[in-house]
Amino acid sequence: MSIFDLPAVREDPEQVEAFLARIDRGEKIEADDWMPMDYRLQLVKLIAMHGISEIMGAFPEKEWVPRAPTLRRRLSLMAKVQDEMGHGQLLLRVAEDLIRPFGKTREDILNDLYAGRLKFHNVFHMPAPTWADAALIGWLVDGAAIITQKMLVQGSYAPYVRALRRIIMEERFHAFHGEDMSQALGDGTPEQRKMLQEALNRWWDALLMFFGPPEEEQMPSNQLKNLRYRIRTKTNEELRQEFLSKYVPQIWALGLTVPDETLRFDEATGRWVYRHPDYSYLRNVIGRNRGPRSEARLHLRRSAFEHNRWVREALLARQAVQKEAAIV
Amino acid sequence: MEKDYEIYEVFSQKEPTGKYESQFSLLAPSPEIALAMAQENFLRREDPPANLFVVNRRHIHFISPEARVALRRMDNKAYRMPGYYGRVLKKWHELKARRGIGDRLLKVEEDG
Repeated sequence: MSIFDLPAVREDPEQVEAFLARIDRGEKIEADDWMPMDYRLQLVKLIAMHGISEIMGAFPEKEWVPRAPTLRRRLSLMAKVQDEMGHGQLLLRVAEDLIRPFGKTREDILNDLYAGRLKFHNVFHMPAPTWADAALIGWLVDGAAIITQKMLVQGSYAPYVRALRRIIMEERFHAFHGEDMSQALGDGTPEQRKMLQEALNRWWDALLMFFGPPEEEQMPSNQLKNLRYRIRTKTNEELRQEFLSKYVPQIWALGLTVPDETLRFDEATGRWVYRHPDYSYLRNVIGRNRGPRSEARLHLRRSAFEHNRWVREALLARQAVQKEAAIV
Repeated sequence: MEKDYEIYEVFSQKEPTGKYESQFSLLAPSPEIALAMAQENFLRREDPPANLFVVNRRHIHFISPEARVALRRMDNKAYRMPGYYGRVLKKWHELKARRGIGDRLLKVEEDG
């Protein structure tokens, strides 16, 4: 039972109009408000993917917890990984409340992930082979996420906005944490600098892809819908430009080189000119869970789910016994 | 899983005299686990709260979306606000002067 199979309903066009008028007035929508099924579906797609990506995103970083170079670094990284799992919990709660009226639950969200119906973010399909990858994820992947989240928090769905406010507050620690790790390497020994540069070379395309393909003459219909519903307020390319404006100067300040010799800021248009990565990779490889680490990380998630099943069941059994005792 | 887990709304208080603040909600198999998770999920780095409690969402009565519309107040409640009675202070000053009563005897306090 996929979370995306929501019942087809005939909707009153006047009611839909009234709903869109609320959006246009800048009103916020609550979980129990009437909403068009299509608005609900767009939210489920976005928020379930966001929530599951927080959880899958903890995996590449958690790999580095036992191998962190110092105890201090280990404490910080562990705290950060825990935050990501916490963000996952918040977002899954928001998604669950949207699918709950149709008898769907968190278990259905996870099963969609295991079945490949629910995607997780492209960056989390990539390997993190060195400590510099962990640093770079904290600095630039989190940086990209923060830019996206600051846009999403302007959205029309109040429960998602409430979750994002808490997440953004915690992300301020993540940003400094990632910058601190990257500064230490970038300003460190030649070997450390080399390690960070190599990580940047490995991650550059994935970072550009983070925001999705650029919208050209024709905006994809999903994008148009999300803009219309004010679920998002900026395009992929606008977000990518913001990312470049914020982070390319930081990359330069660390004495690193962006692996794109065509990259430059065009004063005339006020935009960054750069070489696009191969976006078909997103659709054909990542989209099919065939990225370098897709299967391994899905396996890790699935096996945690299976191995902990007895804990969930034991907790429920105890509760059932208590309920029975209460009835007697 | 969640078919049996229940939704708990989490509330905390910063100080014993402070108001109850909603933190967020979580899924848990029992109120005890919900309390343990609430600390882990919402109070990892905040200053320690004075109190923390969870409420099964089934036990919260929400106002309906239709009724929420009626919550919007018309702009005609000025007489419930202290500012509406601002003339009182001016009047006390005027009366004091008229009767020759000094500041030491009658203080006119701005905040009532």
